[in-house]
Amino acid sequence: MSEDSAQNGRPKRGPRSKRIRPYALTGGRTRARHHLLVETLVSVPSYDPTLSETLMPESKALYERARGQLSIAELSVMLSIPLGVVRVLISDLAAQGAILIHPTAHTYHHDRNMLERILSGLRELPV
Amino acid sequence: MRKILIVGAGQSGLQLALTLREHDYDVTVMSARSPEEIRRGRVMSTQAMFHSALQSERDHGLNLWEADTVRIEGLGLSIAGPDGGRALDWFAPLDHYAQSVDQRVKMAGWAELFEERGGKLILHGVTTADLNGLVDLYDLVVVAAGKGELVGLFDRDAARSPYTVPQRALSLAYVHGLAPRPEHPTAPGVRFNIIPGVGELFMIPAYTLSGNCDILFFEGIPGGPLDCWDDHPKPAEHLRRILDLIERFLPWEYERCAKVELTDDHATLAGGYTPVVRRPVGNLPAGGAVLGMADVVVANDPITGQGSNNAAKCATSYLASILEHGDKPFDQEWMQATFDRYWASAHDVTVWTNALLQPPPPHVQQILGAAQANPAVARRFVNGFDDPSDFQDWFLDPEKAAAYLATA
Ligand SMILES: Cc1cc2nc3c(=O)[nH]c(=O)nc-3n(C[C@H](O)[C@H](O)[C@H](O)COP(=O)(O)OP(=O)(O)OC[C@H]3O[C@@H](n4cnc5c(N)ncnc54)[C@H](O)[C@@H]3O)c2cc1C
Repeated sequence: MSEDSAQNGRPKRGPRSKRIRPYALTGGRTRARHHLLVETLVSVPSYDPTLSETLMPESKALYERARGQLSIAELSVMLSIPLGVVRVLISDLAAQGAILIHPTAHTYHHDRNMLERILSGLRELPV
Repeated sequence: MRKILIVGAGQSGLQLALTLREHDYDVTVMSARSPEEIRRGRVMSTQAMFHSALQSERDHGLNLWEADTVRIEGLGLSIAGPDGGRALDWFAPLDHYAQSVDQRVKMAGWAELFEERGGKLILHGVTTADLNGLVDLYDLVVVAAGKGELVGLFDRDAARSPYTVPQRALSLAYVHGLAPRPEHPTAPGVRFNIIPGVGELFMIPAYTLSGNCDILFFEGIPGGPLDCWDDHPKPAEHLRRILDLIERFLPWEYERCAKVELTDDHATLAGGYTPVVRRPVGNLPAGGAVLGMADVVVANDPITGQGSNNAAKCATSYLASILEHGDKPFDQEWMQATFDRYWASAHDVTVWTNALLQPPPPHVQQILGAAQANPAVARRFVNGFDDPSDFQDWFLDPEKAAAYLATA
């Protein structure tokens, strides 16, 4: 039977702390944590080559790429990793504090370059 | 810690996820929608659940709405006669009450509870390509995505699936303001109204976003007068059409409807699906295997109100199979055995449900008629909704039915 389309109108949260410990979070705070929209930007707050060595190949590729700030969609396209896999791996990396999830795109609505990059990322997404 | 991925945040997937979290498993659930989107979305079911399924939730502290939810104390059957009257009309108590908690309330709440209990909730509509990439990252991937597109991974089991097209056109509305049945005003019950050759109307007390309510749920035989929802009417028109049909076919129920109004803007649903049993192991294009769960593998018509009950029972059964398997690999053999164990009970539900979609054979007419005069017969029928395996011993077999009625 009918299914509402996902991802629309999700409330966005304010700034979040850099380190997110798994299993230690409760209720409202966790909720927005893993809501990774295609346009959500991620980056590596402080690159750790030792950590990189311990990661599985796809997580490692994401970690390396995210050293420059990128959107979820861009990462999926650049690395040819399905969007769902990117979401799972990024949220695991974020839970370890290895990757920082930025407040979502509407925060950037004055930044034309950023918006264009996000849009082109979206266009390339294999849906 | 063993890593388990569950696709689909419905009755079966979330119940399994939450109960696995009581043990030492790293559990990720992928849900097409956020809890807030589920809450703000459309109603999905009538989800009436009987005692043993409810108990499986209570056992794990998942019955968060039990105290607030109206208790369904019995089940009544009416069959419309030719003159606007009733050929049969009886009510029998359930040994233990049933309840229906709107899945919008329950699944949203359970998804949040799952996160609070250390589970990982990822919002994503999962595709086969995703599963290809994800299957190697987990010890086990369970697909609990209901009747969504991922069922394509699981082959239809033709020997167990007698139907190839939907057997009913489904249409429902959640309402406030329904008056009680005058025969049992203080004992809320599910009313099961049969219109021979046309379909059925269920009236189900339930709990929704705005408190207790009732669900008006038509099951229409395809091509008949209840099969009239293809134009997807807007909610107000949808309710009006349901009420018109009740007035036309079931005037005694229409009397209760004078004050009904929709519970909210997303309180109506229409559609239909083909009952089907599928093979439990889904083989991915890249070679991995995933295990199907609940509606993915056994989707019966809701005429017997068993899908959520089955989903809960499937969660209980799969949990036991996972725990008992310890550290051994979740290979395809284990997947098949895990399903077979669940199928042992789902089989009885499937056979009974598929039978009720057909015009009642003479021995069933006799049973339903005997129930009018003999409360013991009515009681046995009604309590079979909690344990449908009992129907094999009398209801489904003309000889056993005759033998039982002779002694009842
Ligand atoms: C009209 C109607 C009335 C019913 N009445 C009753 C009743 O009275 N009693 C009863 O016991 N049963 C009833 N049922 C059946 C019951 O609702 C289902 O059998 C039960 O919900 C199945 O549980 P499930 O966990 O298998 O799937 P669902 O509860 O359907 O959950 C599946 C979840 O997976 C999600 N999903 C789907 N695809 C994807 C994807 N690709 N990626 C991520 N997530 C995905 C869906 O959004 C959904 O949240 C009724 C069903 C209908 C349609």
